[in-house]
Amino acid sequence: MTKVVIIGGGWAGCAAAISAKKAGAEVTLIERTDLLIGLGNVGGIMRNNGRYTATEENIALGAPELFDVTDSCARHKNIEFPGHKHATLYDVTQVEPTVRRLLKDKGINILFESRAIDIIKEDKKIKGIVLSDKSVIYGDVFIETTGSTGPMGNCLKYGNGCSMCILRCPSFGPRISISKRAGVEDILGKRGDESYGAFSGSCKLNKDSLSAEIVEKLNKEGVAVLRIPEEDINLGKLDIKVCQQYALKEFAENIVLLDTGHAKLMAPFYPLEKLRKIKGLENARYEDPYAGGKANSVRYLSIAPRNNSMKVRGVDNLLCAGEKSGLFVGHTEAIATGTLAGHNSVRLSLGVPLLELPRNLAIGDIIAFANEQIITEEGLKKRYTFAGSEFFQRMKSTGLYITDKEEIKRKISRVNLLGIYNEKLI
Amino acid sequence: MKYRLECVDAGSEYCPCYLAETNNCITCSHLQGKQFCDCEWRGTCIYQEYVNNGYQKTYQREDIPVQVEKRESIGSNCMMLKIKVSKTLARQLKEPGAYVFLRGTDLPHYFDVPMSIMEADDSNGYIYISYQTLGAKTKKLDEDRSEFLLRGPYWNGLYGLKSLKKVSEDNCLVIARGIAQAPAILVIKKLIKNRNKVIFVVDKGVVGEIFIEDLIDGLDIRIIEEDVQSENGKFLIKNILRNEDIGLVYSGGSDVLHASVINMIDQVGVNPNIVITNNNEICCGEGICGGCTIRLSNGVRAKTCKTQLEARKVIERRVFDD
Repeated sequence: MTKVVIIGGGWAGCAAAISAKKAGAEVTLIERTDLLIGLGNVGGIMRNNGRYTATEENIALGAPELFDVTDSCARHKNIEFPGHKHATLYDVTQVEPTVRRLLKDKGINILFESRAIDIIKEDKKIKGIVLSDKSVIYGDVFIETTGSTGPMGNCLKYGNGCSMCILRCPSFGPRISISKRAGVEDILGKRGDESYGAFSGSCKLNKDSLSAEIVEKLNKEGVAVLRIPEEDINLGKLDIKVCQQYALKEFAENIVLLDTGHAKLMAPFYPLEKLRKIKGLENARYEDPYAGGKANSVRYLSIAPRNNSMKVRGVDNLLCAGEKSGLFVGHTEAIATGTLAGHNSVRLSLGVPLLELPRNLAIGDIIAFANEQIITEEGLKKRYTFAGSEFFQRMKSTGLYITDKEEIKRKISRVNLLGIYNEKLI
Repeated sequence: MKYRLECVDAGSEYCPCYLAETNNCITCSHLQGKQFCDCEWRGTCIYQEYVNNGYQKTYQREDIPVQVEKRESIGSNCMMLKIKVSKTLARQLKEPGAYVFLRGTDLPHYFDVPMSIMEADDSNGYIYISYQTLGAKTKKLDEDRSEFLLRGPYWNGLYGLKSLKKVSEDNCLVIARGIAQAPAILVIKKLIKNRNKVIFVVDKGVVGEIFIEDLIDGLDIRIIEEDVQSENGKFLIKNILRNEDIGLVYSGGSDVLHASVINMIDQVGVNPNIVITNNNEICCGEGICGGCTIRLSNGVRAKTCKTQLEARKVIERRVFDD
């Protein structure tokens, strides 16, 4: 039986584990921390704008599992906030345990608190992954979903230092780039000002520290928009964010809070003193990252070059997904790329042609488009998401943005890919 | 597989050091002038410490005057010193592999001689050191001085510290020969503290005496005295390796002894963790002078005064004249 080893238990890794398992592989998932879904533990925004289309595409392609979880753990459905329509906000405290049970029930072998630090390689093939305790996990095909965030030294050199985010590098140790270990140079994202990396785009406030009025509004409507005092408006801040879909003027002039269990503040960081000047936030404190008044994690410092089937160039048996595979933002993007990588890992082991999604699907187009852009200087400064920015504009202009589930299903059936991820290949 | 180096000082109060300032850090890739994080993690970010410290090294070890409380001649050509130090320093030195530099107060710095700690009394502030008089530095220590300059603590006197500190409720074989009886004491005490069963094979070596009897008296260990380089000794060690389910072997002595112990382990076909004494000529202890640099078989150069290395990797490059 093909043994697929996935490095990184974030959204992309979990998605890859499920699709590789469904295609018939024996799957081992290596996770550095004690939680799955990585930054998904503090995210929560689903189905906004073009993500709705991508979600329904992935479901019709045969991989509904993780979207079923995020839908079932929703606190708010079909809400609007500046620049965004029909969003679902999942409850960040519900999703991880649900995903964990799902993966375990599927018979996926999860190794928690296991940090990959190196590889064993023969010619252009990876034989095994060396863990920090020097034990080795051998496999036939490997999928790297280690992301591109941190560790501490990078967050300091390219940001404002470790802000104590959910990745908890000081406790669990740093992320290592597996593809780089395999001799493939990382690609680095840039900011508008040419510096490397980008800040994560949001922080979470402890809901109990907000005024009763704001809490009620959040619980009821899912969104609260609060005006920033004139003297504190800073438009320049938008440039440093990773989430360009939220880099809108409205987000500089207002504080936008979303209810994901915590109050998600749509800013990479915000000085506590200034934050507390806003009505209702007089007692506010950060829930994630703990030092959200000063800093946030820095991302996009470690992207692997890949083809549109998610196979890493230069290594025979390594695939990648999520942020590791491009300048992608978001859970939906991670799940969509992860699912494809997992499915293709089994194809790769069988020596059959890898699946490449057609460009008349939003998922197929973003995978190919991000790959075309990443080789250009300007493209390195952009982020690719179904939810906004350049790619959502592209979706709208090319007619890829569809919100009718049945139509999406018909489209996928026309390209003969309905339920492809459900096919057991071995 | 790339071999990343691990500095024994990383994460300690003496990190970051001068090597960080000069982009020669043993562990941190940023502080080697590289672009991104790629370190052998020690639970702390050296770069973070460096930047937070204003892009400077932290406080470094200095020479401090210490009093010799007792000087005792042991065996042939050997001396034992009892030195008064602060309780803090004694505590810092109460670790396997700990060492300090000593020299006479009137002598230039190049008389600094590295000395393994035999025992540390942290409730009263004493350390005990035994040495063999061999060259210019130790001969100058022999002069009847009551005061020395001491620099420390240093910790890289052993390779394999991680396995040594981790092993618990296991069977351990401790082999010590000659003057290397001294650093074995802290090793044995550490192993006992972690509820290991210790078999101690001790060899007088050229010192001609078991001078640590008082220090191991009353410890719950099995002691066997034998010439470990003799046929009998080798037979004994192999038997222990074969029959006692040994999880960790400590070899204290010359590199010839280390090579012979590793050889015996391979002959018997067992796979215990290996801890050995660091026998390289240590000169400054700070990774600056380069005097202790060795080249590993993969071409990596390592400063052995600070770098933790695998015992086998250190020994495989040594060439012996039998």
